Amino acid sequence: MRRSLLAASALLLLALLVIFWQESRKPKPIALTPVLTGQVEYCLTCHADLPEISRSHPVQTFGCVLCHGGERLALDADLAHSTMRGGKNPSDFSVVEASCGGDNCHSGAAADYRDHIQRAASSIQATYAGAIASLRYTFGAQPDLTARLGIYAIQALQSASGITALAAFDPARETNPAIRAFAQDCLYCHLSAQPLTGDEYSRFTGCAACHSPDLTSPPIPPSPLPLGEERGAGGSRRGAHTLTAAIPYTQCNRCHNRGNYDLRSMTFVPRDDHPTGRLSDYYQPIAQFTRCEWTLDCVDCHTRAEVMGDGSLYSSKKEIQYIQCRTCHGTLTELPKTKTLTDPDDLAFRLAFLNESAGNFESTWHLEVGDTILVTEKGEPLWNIRLLPDGTYELFGKATGEHFTFLPVMGSGCQQKADEQASQDCHKCHAVER
Amino acid sequence: MPDLSRRDFLKLARDSLLALSGLLGLGGLIRFLDFQTEPPAPTDFDLGLASDYPLGTHKVIPDVPALLIHDASGFSALSLVCTHLGCTVEEKAEGFSCPCHGSRFDPQGEVTRGPANKPIIKLRVETTEDGHLHLYTT
Repeated sequence: MRRSLLAASALLLLALLVIFWQESRKPKPIALTPVLTGQVEYCLTCHADLPEISRSHPVQTFGCVLCHGGERLALDADLAHSTMRGGKNPSDFSVVEASCGGDNCHSGAAADYRDHIQRAASSIQATYAGAIASLRYTFGAQPDLTARLGIYAIQALQSASGITALAAFDPARETNPAIRAFAQDCLYCHLSAQPLTGDEYSRFTGCAACHSPDLTSPPIPPSPLPLGEERGAGGSRRGAHTLTAAIPYTQCNRCHNRGNYDLRSMTFVPRDDHPTGRLSDYYQPIAQFTRCEWTLDCVDCHTRAEVMGDGSLYSSKKEIQYIQCRTCHGTLTELPKTKTLTDPDDLAFRLAFLNESAGNFESTWHLEVGDTILVTEKGEPLWNIRLLPDGTYELFGKATGEHFTFLPVMGSGCQQKADEQASQDCHKCHAVER
Repeated sequence: MPDLSRRDFLKLARDSLLALSGLLGLGGLIRFLDFQTEPPAPTDFDLGLASDYPLGTHKVIPDVPALLIHDASGFSALSLVCTHLGCTVEEKAEGFSCPCHGSRFDPQGEVTRGPANKPIIKLRVETTEDGHLHLYTT
């Protein structure tokens, strides 16, 4: 009995010593009380080395928990991470409203330009309604190309297209095996889909699919700086903890220009070449392209409404994508549409600011009241293109920081007709020789 | 030193181990009870003697953060917290600018560019009987 008591006492002491030893090994908590929440959180105890995600989301103001969720007071990693939203990606559409939403953040009123989540979630890139409608029409599952189904069910914020809602696409309810095969083999390219395996496809889902460029794989030259260094005007840092509006074309190509659908096998066939030179082998061998198609980034021309949607549901990319050559170059009889900035609260200023701020770089593009910028036929400001006093135009590369100048069609030797706005019409005279 | 019987030795060893365990447990309890939660953010800032801020003072108080002004009408202060999402605004020639989302305010704190839609908050400044200047954020 006495020996047992002695052994129990020794074990008790040993257990207490182990507990104290473990406690002493824990890092000293680093407390942060973000301005927005006013509640202390200890995430920086382990994550103090993470860079600021963007100038628009400073950790002193936002903290970590507001966006990522998690147990703010926990010092044990498993416990702290147990209630995170979306794992490493709080912008996945399944959790984005809780992570990024709010009237003053990204799900506010359209009039305040704060309806980002609503627009993105109803965009054709998110619903994939165009591809689904096209496929179901091809195989006789619906009588026309009007979208009825999306990746998820959704109501339209507005109905510019006449489509007020989409039901969820459920492959199990499809009778045609080709449609089921499509669902199994081809649904890689919408914003909620996990990407294919491989660096060239690497991206997040939701907002971060575009706004958190993965620069850990070799970029396709020309890139601002070699891999491993801070990207200059391009802004985005190597690694994932980045939010930027300065999105390089390489990120768009994580989905676009990565292969083709094979309608015989109903599979997605990825490109088997991995382009390393944008000019030399990025485009398909037979493809023609103009200088602006290979020197600019996609976001330099395509507008926020085209890419992120305008709140309406569409049946095809063509219904929302409307930028044409004439938008910037005009026609034989008309100069491109312009607007002189008179209101310091103009959307153009906000977009220019966010490109710099969210891009984490010092911009060389400074808009001023009195500047004349281009606008699209729908009135969207092309804030990165302005009219120069000599009648030429200057474009600022949103992701590269480069400056380009170009001429309007009117008054030049170009004879392009107003209705010739397809890329091949430009290629007749302006195709780049490889 | 008297011989220690085996029984007494075991008893002494057991009691010693229990005493050490008790001390460790007591230490843990004291540490637990002594835990200090993070103090709430202060709302009253003693800026020192008012005489240290002569007429014409236009000084940023970074700890608040706020801009203290001493003009002909007396002391006044503007919060430097952006009314949009709480970033600290920077003073510029034309007023104030938020480095996070680009909101702009004129020198009086009125919004000139969104996304902020409320003016900068004016803070209360008072001089106490002992001549100290106090700035209140609530």
